Amino acid sequence: MFNLLFAEAFKLRHRLRAWLGPLLIMVLVLIAFPLSIDVSQYDLNKFYFSIIVISLLMISFLATESIFSEDYEDGSLEQIYLEEKDFYKVALTKISIYVFFIGIPMSLIGSVFSFANGVSADELPKIFVVLLFSTLILFNLFAFGSALSLNKGAMLGVLVSLPLTLPVIVLLGRAVRTIQYGEGFLEVLALLLGVGLILMAIMPLIISATLKTHLE
Amino acid sequence: MYLPYVMYLGFFLLAIGWVWGLGFAPQDAIQGNSYRIIFLHVPASIFAQLIYFFMAVCALMHLVWRVKLAAYLIKSAAPVGVIITFIALFSGSIWGIPTWGTWWQWDARITSTLILFIMYLGILTLHSSFSNLEKADRLMSILVVVGVVNIPIIKKSVDWWSTLHQPASITISEAPSIDSSMLYPLLVSISGMGLTLIALGILISRLYIFTREKNKKWVQNYE
Amino acid sequence: MQLITANNLSYSINENQLFHNLTFALDSGSGLHVKGGNGSGKSTLIRILLGLTSPTKGEVIFPEPSPFISYLGHKNAIKQYLTPLQNLDLMLDSSSLESAMTWMRTLGLARVQDEMTATLSFGQQKKLALIRVLSNPSDLIILDEPFVGLDDSSRDLLSKFLSARLDDGAGLVLTSHIDPQVSCDELILREKEDV
Repeated sequence: MFNLLFAEAFKLRHRLRAWLGPLLIMVLVLIAFPLSIDVSQYDLNKFYFSIIVISLLMISFLATESIFSEDYEDGSLEQIYLEEKDFYKVALTKISIYVFFIGIPMSLIGSVFSFANGVSADELPKIFVVLLFSTLILFNLFAFGSALSLNKGAMLGVLVSLPLTLPVIVLLGRAVRTIQYGEGFLEVLALLLGVGLILMAIMPLIISATLKTHLE
Repeated sequence: MYLPYVMYLGFFLLAIGWVWGLGFAPQDAIQGNSYRIIFLHVPASIFAQLIYFFMAVCALMHLVWRVKLAAYLIKSAAPVGVIITFIALFSGSIWGIPTWGTWWQWDARITSTLILFIMYLGILTLHSSFSNLEKADRLMSILVVVGVVNIPIIKKSVDWWSTLHQPASITISEAPSIDSSMLYPLLVSISGMGLTLIALGILISRLYIFTREKNKKWVQNYE
Repeated sequence: MQLITANNLSYSINENQLFHNLTFALDSGSGLHVKGGNGSGKSTLIRILLGLTSPTKGEVIFPEPSPFISYLGHKNAIKQYLTPLQNLDLMLDSSSLESAMTWMRTLGLARVQDEMTATLSFGQQKKLALIRVLSNPSDLIILDEPFVGLDDSSRDLLSKFLSARLDDGAGLVLTSHIDPQVSCDELILREKEDV
């Protein structure tokens, strides 16, 4: 297991565009939004968080786009199957690595930008944790989408997995409101984490079955 | 061979339900005549979801027991689902004009029906993306099963979200309990629509099974 | 010892039958050369033996404990964005690395070991991929067109290696359009005649 973790981290580290690309695009999107409206407008603060949420959603599927297809294209997936006989461990490892290397920085960027738009400093960690737990959920769901589409391009994967992620968006909106009003935050946080962990346990199973089907 | 009977019975019941509902049922006290669209809208909304659950049962059968026919049924039911979900959305939208004064409300049910509509199309797109049809069948089944778990979650969450936003707006779920003079034609319309859809589904699936099994002897010997 | 027993294998794709009722067995120390024209199902048969593809009918039985298989197919399973050395680190256990380095020198890859794999020629990449098979102590070697892209000397090396592994008691299944120069039984897949 440790070997697998190391190998996946090693591979991701050497594909700069796979991990740095999504992060930079996230920053660009978050810069682009204020440019599209008058900065002096008071309303920016009110809506800015939803832009962070939507960009989190978009960048999550960008980030997980090639999570399995890269290994499928070059034949590594077949070799992995011969060794492991299923893809549970691989999927679990890959998703964890992606959350660690892309999800955490993404959540940091998101919370820093919300700071720049009127969130007070002591709410920053709260926003960060909320965003981090949502990336855990989003990465699992989008990893499933990209496992389904695999070599057929990101479009298909997004199309089939985006409907699955919409409840997360609702939950995120809810979480932000509890931060603003200062109550019920922990409940929503626990819910996010719980859903994330459940998905983390189940999704690799489903992804494993999906990838096996692709090799047929 | 019993297909024509199912179809005609379906058309017949649908016709009775609609004539009864549109022509003879009493006017609604608040909404006047505009409520009469429920004879199209309610059956369509019911079957928009029922078809998905039917597909999910088939998908499980396909994944667990590898029943080929089940996959064919999913593939044939999905377009029916697309049509009926579109009808549900469209008729709801028309109904929204006189009752809410708008084509669209970000109401929980409407939103989740729209998402359902996109899920149907996503399933069809996924299946058409693979040239190895057996692979396509299995991938589609996996997606359908994952999707069916998600439908109640989407509904629940969207409910949660919309009640937070607009607690006082009129929603369909809060409609007053319905009078029997309206209920009976509605029930007739629902069963008529159900039979019509079953007939349509059989038609499509028969065509589809023939194309998929065109090299099999039994298809070549068929009539 | 029988390494593979295949019973009544049939395979159809989109209801088109590729092969029908194949039955064969492979003993340790013997080789099987799968022959047939394009589209006759050679690669599919290989994938069925590996358990990647499930046959439409029939079964493949392995002895217990299941033999350690090394496989190389059409796809090289090497990472273009890593160097050959890094690739070896990824695909082999540390115990096999020493023999892998010997093979790197024998195959003439040692001087490019720190280049980016993407800059290597097709043949060099194939050789690098073959090291997975060459330096793994496997009981069963399964190769799909291993000679494509190799120069004459590497081809001889591979043939000699395979013969030596057969003498050691390993099993071998391969497809090749070129005579592999290894003593093998032959299994010929015929294309289905048009009806």
